[in-house]
Amino acid sequence: MISAIYNFALTTGANRVIRGARIEHVCGDPTLSAEKDYAFGMRIVTTALQTLTIAVPGPTLFDPMASGKEAAHAS
Amino acid sequence: MSGPLRIVHYVNQFFGGIGGEDQAHVGVSVRAGAVGPGRVLEKALGDDARVEATLVCGDNFASENEADAARAIGAELDRLKPDVLVAGPAFGSGRYGLACALACKVAQGRGIPAITAMHPENPGASNARRGIYIVPTGASTTSMQAALDALAPLARRLGRGQTLGPSEAEGYMPRGTRRVHDRGRPGYQRALDMLLDKLHGRPYRSEVPYAPPERVSPAPPIADLARARIAMVTTGGLVRKGNPDRQVSANAVRYHRHTVAELESLSPAEWEAYHAGYFNHIVNSNPNYILPLSFLRDLERQGKVGRVHEYIYALPGVSTPVAVSAGHGRSIAADLKAGRVDGALLVAT
Repeated sequence: MISAIYNFALTTGANRVIRGARIEHVCGDPTLSAEKDYAFGMRIVTTALQTLTIAVPGPTLFDPMASGKEAAHAS
Repeated sequence: MSGPLRIVHYVNQFFGGIGGEDQAHVGVSVRAGAVGPGRVLEKALGDDARVEATLVCGDNFASENEADAARAIGAELDRLKPDVLVAGPAFGSGRYGLACALACKVAQGRGIPAITAMHPENPGASNARRGIYIVPTGASTTSMQAALDALAPLARRLGRGQTLGPSEAEGYMPRGTRRVHDRGRPGYQRALDMLLDKLHGRPYRSEVPYAPPERVSPAPPIADLARARIAMVTTGGLVRKGNPDRQVSANAVRYHRHTVAELESLSPAEWEAYHAGYFNHIVNSNPNYILPLSFLRDLERQGKVGRVHEYIYALPGVSTPVAVSAGHGRSIAADLKAGRVDGALLVAT
């Protein structure tokens, strides 16, 4: 699940949670240039797709902006 | 009120003495007086109450022919006109629990008070808890006496036309209804007492019931994204421009499935957001923010994703009861499974 209110998603039991940009524009950022907006959105979507290839023990947060870092678990 | 309390008791084929699973298909029949657990019930009820008749129905019949069973139970109740209907106890037996809940609903629909008893995890309790009185029991018949001792005084009072107090005081399971009442002391005092109890490590009980969210086992990982079929779902209120499907902006009772088989991305000329819970204008300029079709098409072209599923699913995820949302989720998931989808991206606003 891609969501900007990722804590909600984690506490209500979504297992693969990807941090989105903002509630009003989850997969991208219109304040950026068109090119950067697209790259940002692509990063979120690619991160989301990668999480589908990873086994998770339970609700787990993946932050597209925290590159190289380990995923953070909900509890 | 004069005369003894008149009770009709609903039991399944097993407790009605007809037989076990081999007799679960039998339809509704009626016996005069108490049968099986009805005799224990009668004792628990005390002197001025008697089980007038026992309705017996096979569990399979009740679950497979619900409308017929309801009609037959209703006809007997119309004829017998009891003061109260008691169903079960069903303990942990799922079909029996559902049948007991059904019998209670049929009675209540006729203005006859009704009460049943079963294990809290019985599907009859979880599916039908709203609006009917259910006394919690253990999972097996060994708790029969305790169950009927707890149920009998409530049945008596219901039969005498009395209303029961709140579930926490009376011992039945919460029915999901709220009633205005006076707790005697104002909220700030109760809250401070609770806080003090908490700080001192004393036991305290919140007045706000907490229902923990359902735990869902994580789906196993996809072995190879390049061969996977990926679908997209959004709770961001995506609709076709002008909302021709007449979707609501909150508390959706249905979701919509749209085909994107021919689309490269979601154009603001053809799609928009209709959602009462956030500022929609930004999405209206680029709907791919809540349903990332443009990105997935690029990845599909690059061979990083096997295939973009031809259908998308959309609804506004706001002000919707959890039970309704769970129903939407189950239905979408079943459709995705039937469409041989390997993984889905759900974008939530």
